[in-house]
Amino acid sequence: MSGCGYSYERMFAFSPPRPPVPTDLAAKIRPTLLARSRTLGLEGPWSGVIPGGRLRRGTTIAVHAESAQGGVSVALSLAAAATAEGLWAGVVGVRDPGVVAMVDLGLDLRRVLFVPSPAAAWAESAADLLEGVDVLVVQPPLNPSSTLARRLSSRVRERGVVLIVVTRQFVWPAPVEVGLRVEGSQWETSSRLVSRVLRLNVSTRERAGTSCHELVLPDPHGRVASR
Amino acid sequence: MERLVAVWLADLEVERVDGSSLREFSSFLDALGELCPFVDPLRRGLCLFPMRAPRRFYGTEEAVLERLYEIVERCGLPSPRVGVAQGVFSAEAAARRDRVVMLGEEDLFRYSLPIEELAPKDVAATLRRLGISSVGRFAELSERRVAERFSALVVELHRVARGEQSEAPGQRDASVLRALGRETRDTRGVDEQLGFFGHRGAREQRALAAAWRVRSRLGEAGVLVASLRAGRAPEDRDVLVPFDAPEPRRSPEAPWPGRLGSPTPVRTPRQPLPVSLTDSTATPVTVGVRGFLSGDPVRLDLGRGSWREVTWYAGPWPSVEEWWGVPRRRAHLQVVTDRAEAYLLRAEGERWWIAGVYD
Repeated sequence: MSGCGYSYERMFAFSPPRPPVPTDLAAKIRPTLLARSRTLGLEGPWSGVIPGGRLRRGTTIAVHAESAQGGVSVALSLAAAATAEGLWAGVVGVRDPGVVAMVDLGLDLRRVLFVPSPAAAWAESAADLLEGVDVLVVQPPLNPSSTLARRLSSRVRERGVVLIVVTRQFVWPAPVEVGLRVEGSQWETSSRLVSRVLRLNVSTRERAGTSCHELVLPDPHGRVASR
Repeated sequence: MERLVAVWLADLEVERVDGSSLREFSSFLDALGELCPFVDPLRRGLCLFPMRAPRRFYGTEEAVLERLYEIVERCGLPSPRVGVAQGVFSAEAAARRDRVVMLGEEDLFRYSLPIEELAPKDVAATLRRLGISSVGRFAELSERRVAERFSALVVELHRVARGEQSEAPGQRDASVLRALGRETRDTRGVDEQLGFFGHRGAREQRALAAAWRVRSRLGEAGVLVASLRAGRAPEDRDVLVPFDAPEPRRSPEAPWPGRLGSPTPVRTPRQPLPVSLTDSTATPVTVGVRGFLSGDPVRLDLGRGSWREVTWYAGPWPSVEEWWGVPRRRAHLQVVTDRAEAYLLRAEGERWWIAGVYD
């Protein structure tokens, strides 16, 4: 409708014809809009594993794996799509990040801040970064107290950040929305390492019980792929 | 000396106006990664890789070459000339003749080559005048006589002729490496070239403010940003600098012959962790001068009493520096342990180090 075609007289004489607004319109629109801004994207293969197929802001995901069993790859792969969408990520406590592998995983390095060796100050560093990033990967060097873990999780809820914690010898001592456990891994080889199949056990707060998934991480290109 | 496969794509030797030949070469090198993680581009259209590791997997040299032809076809490239021979010089000569030199005939093959193939024009002419027409005749000269009469270049050529040196001087075109490096960066698009923090949105300012807080807590090296530089092994390519450093240090000029293809280790220890690798007789496994392992590794000691059984390995891939006698001799080995952990190990100075963890 072109606004300049209306004279003032007509404007006051007639109310412009328009369909009645459905009463539930607001209710219909708002959640969808929120759902988009309240979630972060995931690499395709994750959508079958993470409930809802996206990362919900304000939630904590715990990744548990034995040493060198893919825990770091899982966490970084979960954060990759968000950085590619223009969001910022922080990576705290992952010593010696392999930059080539991270590029392969799909991380946009221009928006990733690394705090590789925060030592005892890891929780404070994580809390600092929570103010500035959208997704935060933390590998605590020490087993945190349950109070500390809960405090971080509640900060995460306030800030609307996604927290991904990677643990090894211990389990994250606070309730989490999604728990991923690497149950086993198997390397495919030829004349060289080709890819790795990870068996993941997924538990969510919403549903009782766990589900099992298999993912290829890394695939021959260093990315995540469906089995 | 290492038995090498040389692939010569005459079509890609000349630069096309649109730069597509370099792009095609670059994606061909990537595709070759499935045969060997370290592929060495010698010049435009000419690359090399060691035969040993893929042969161990595919069984025969024929099977490896078949895979190679499949890859060439998949890349949509015209049929290449392929040579298999010992050392870089012979491998290229074999590729020009499209010939697989039989095991045990490597020396004969090299000796039979005309001297012009090895020496630059002026040197070849001098040698011809002395009645030396082939590489074999040249090799017959005594080392001392050559050193007395000729320049350092000819001495080096003589070493190649005698099979003591793999690559002849002048064989390699370092600019192709630089060009390939540029090529890779260019495909990342203009956006990438703006570098870190090119434009500052609200989100970015928020992130940087948070980074400053962490920095004030942990010190200058507390918060890092990462980028890639050219290099061969993943541990050479990582660049991690303080986030507020003026420009991430990139050295695109560094050559990166035969970088390790994907997948690459997610963690690459900055301070190399010494480990020990032993065979079934508990003898330390070493990499010999010729790039062979002294035995099959069966046990990996990670230090502090923790050890793993090695269930699979691939390599070693000796580094280019070793092939050409530059002091830094390195070799990489991929191993998988009984716990399904995978490591990238590096042999250097008679010791093994963890160069990467596929975490």
